[in-house]
Amino acid sequence: MTKPHVLLLGDVLHARAEWEALSDVATLSVCDSSTKEEFIKDLAGKYSDVAAVYHCHMDDAKPGANINQELLEALPPSLKFICHHGAGYDMIDVNACTRKGILVSNTPGAVDDATADVNMFLVLGALREFNLAMTNLRKGNWNAGVPLSHDPEGKVLGILGMGGIGRALKRRAQGFGMITQYHNRKPLSEEMAAGAKYVSFDELLATSDVISMNLPLNAHTRHIINKEAIAKMKDGVIIVNTARGPVIDEQALVDALESGKVRCAGLDVFEAEPKIHPGLLANEKVILLPHVGTATYETRKKMEITVINNIRSAITGAKLLNVVPEQIHFAP
Amino acid sequence: MTVTKPHVLLLGEIRHAKAEWEALSDVATLSVCDSANREEFIKDLKGKYSDVVAVYRTFGSVAISGRFDAELLKEFPSSFKYICHNGAGYDQIDVAPCTERDIHISNCPSTVDDATADVNMFLILGALRNFNEAMVSLRKGNWNAGVPLSNDPEGKVLGILGMGGIGRALKKRAEAFGMTVQYYNRNELSTELAAGAKYVSFDELLATSDVLSLNLPLNPKTRHTINKEAFEKMKDGIVIVNTARGAVMDEAALVDALESGKVKNVGLDVFEAEPKIHPGLLSNEKVILLPHMGTLTYETQKKMEIQVLDNIRAALTTGKLNTIVPEQVSLQ
Repeated sequence: MTKPHVLLLGDVLHARAEWEALSDVATLSVCDSSTKEEFIKDLAGKYSDVAAVYHCHMDDAKPGANINQELLEALPPSLKFICHHGAGYDMIDVNACTRKGILVSNTPGAVDDATADVNMFLVLGALREFNLAMTNLRKGNWNAGVPLSHDPEGKVLGILGMGGIGRALKRRAQGFGMITQYHNRKPLSEEMAAGAKYVSFDELLATSDVISMNLPLNAHTRHIINKEAIAKMKDGVIIVNTARGPVIDEQALVDALESGKVRCAGLDVFEAEPKIHPGLLANEKVILLPHVGTATYETRKKMEITVINNIRSAITGAKLLNVVPEQIHFAP
Repeated sequence: MTVTKPHVLLLGEIRHAKAEWEALSDVATLSVCDSANREEFIKDLKGKYSDVVAVYRTFGSVAISGRFDAELLKEFPSSFKYICHNGAGYDQIDVAPCTERDIHISNCPSTVDDATADVNMFLILGALRNFNEAMVSLRKGNWNAGVPLSNDPEGKVLGILGMGGIGRALKKRAEAFGMTVQYYNRNELSTELAAGAKYVSFDELLATSDVLSLNLPLNPKTRHTINKEAFEKMKDGIVIVNTARGAVMDEAALVDALESGKVKNVGLDVFEAEPKIHPGLLSNEKVILLPHMGTLTYETQKKMEIQVLDNIRAALTTGKLNTIVPEQVSLQ
C-alpha cells in the first residue's frame, strides 16, 4: 500500500532528521512550485494525492502562503490536515477549512517561552524608556536629556489573552514585582490563573498601568485596541504587542503616543509589517523589534518538531495533537 | 541655654525628597554647598563649612569636589564624622583614609536592588537574543533581513559574580526565565539567602557559566577582575553583562574577546571611562549598551534619597549609621 503523501510548504531548517524520519510512514515532497499559478496546477498534478501539508509562515508572495477560499478550492480531496508552523494562524481561513473537512493544527506551547521573553523585554524597555537612552548613547550624548522613568515594581500588568504566552508572561512579570490581571474569552481555572485576577475588558483598560496584547488575530479581535479603547485607558499607560499588529489600530496608537495618553510602547509586530507607521519610526522612545518572537535556534527546532509530531499523528492516527481552538469540536 | 544643632552639608542635588531634607532641620542646621569647584570647596571647608558634622553627597557631585580621596579628606574639619553617600557604589570615596580619621561612610544598599536588577535582566535578554542588532536593522528600514537566530535563556547557566542585594534580586528575575543560577562571592551565603543558587569558585564560575553577570563593588582589589586571563577561562560564546562598575572589566580585553568570538555578546550599563566608551563597542551593532541607567526612575531615586536622609538622621540622633559600608562595620 502506498504511504500517504506529505507536502512541505516552506522549509524545515533545524529538525531535518525528524522530518526525514517521517518517511517511515509517509512519502515526503518539498513544494517546488515557483508561482501561485504553477502551484494550483501542481495541486491537480503531482500533489493531487497529498494527505497532509506542513505549512510555514511565509512571505505573502510565496505559493501557499495564504490558505484562503480560493486556494482551498484547488486543494485535492485527499488533503485532510494542514499542520502550521507558528502559534498565530491568521493567514489560514479556518472556517473555510472546516467547511472542506480539513483540520488545522498550530504550535502552541513551543512558542510560549521565547515569545514571553520578547514580551517582558519590551515591557521593561517601554516602562524604563530604554530606547531613548540607547539611541542617545549611540549618538554620543551619554544620558544627557534622558528623563527619569518608572519601575515595574508594584505596577499593574493587564494581559489581554491569557493563553500559554500570557501565562508565561505573568510568571516573568512577577519576578519584577508586577501585579497581574487579565481578560480572556473565558476566566481560567484557579490553578491556571495562578493568582492573576480576571477582569472585564473595560476594567482591564481602565485599571492597568501596562497592557500586553497576547490574543490571536481573527475577525473579532482586529483593531480591538482602537481610539475608543485607548480613551478608556489610564493616562500614561504603556502598551506592548507581541501578538499580531492588526489587533491594534496603529494610527490610533501613534496619535495616543503624540498626545501622551500612551507614555511609551513596545512592539514586535505591526499592522502592515514589514511596513511600519512613520509616526512610530520617528519616535525615539518606543522600543521596536522586527517580529523576532520565536527567533531562536532552540525554539524554532521545538516548533518544527511540534509540526512534525502533528503530521505523524495525523498520518498514523487520523488526528492532530494541536488542533486549533475553533475546530476542537470537529476533531475526532 | 540653646544647643546648636549639628551642621549638615548637602553636596549635590536632592530632587525628590525635598520635604524630607527640610524636615531634617528639626535635628540639624542645613546648608547647601555652593562651592564652584574642588579648590573653592577646600577653602569653604576651612570657612563656612568648618563645623560640618555630616555630608550628604551624590554621585554627580564629584564634578564639583572631585573624588573623596586622602588629599581632600585631609582638608575636612575635625568636627566631620559622617559621609552619607547617595548610591550603592561608593568607589568615589577612598575608605581607608576615612577609617583612619574615624569618618564613617554609609551607602544605599537595598533601595537600588530592584531597579538595577531590572536593567541587568533587560541586558541579559538583549545580549542573549541579539535584540540590538534586530532593533538597529528595523530602524535602518531592513526589518529583520540578515538578523540571525539567537538563543533562549531557558536552561542556561547564569553565573553571578557578587551575590549582594542586586545579585540576589537578579537571581529572582533570571529564574522566572528558566535560568539556573550559580554565584561567586567573597563569602558563601547562608542557605536561606542563597535560595538555591549554587556557590562555586571564581574559576568554576568562569568556566561553567553561559551568561556571566558582574554584580560586585569596585575597589582596588576588584579592578579588572575580568581581564585577558579571565576571558581565556570562560566558555566559548559566553554572554557577559555588567551593571556594576565599568572598571571591574578590562574594556580593551573585552573588545578583543568580542572580535575573536570568544564572547558572543555583551550587555553593558557601565564603562571603564564613562561617559567615554571604547570605539570597538560603539562600532559593534550586536552589543546592547545603556548609559548608566541603573537606578534612574522616580520611584527608586526617591527611595535612595530618603535612605541617605535616614542615615543622616540616625547618625545625628543615635550616633550610628543605618547602612554603614561593609569595610567599616566593625567601627560601629
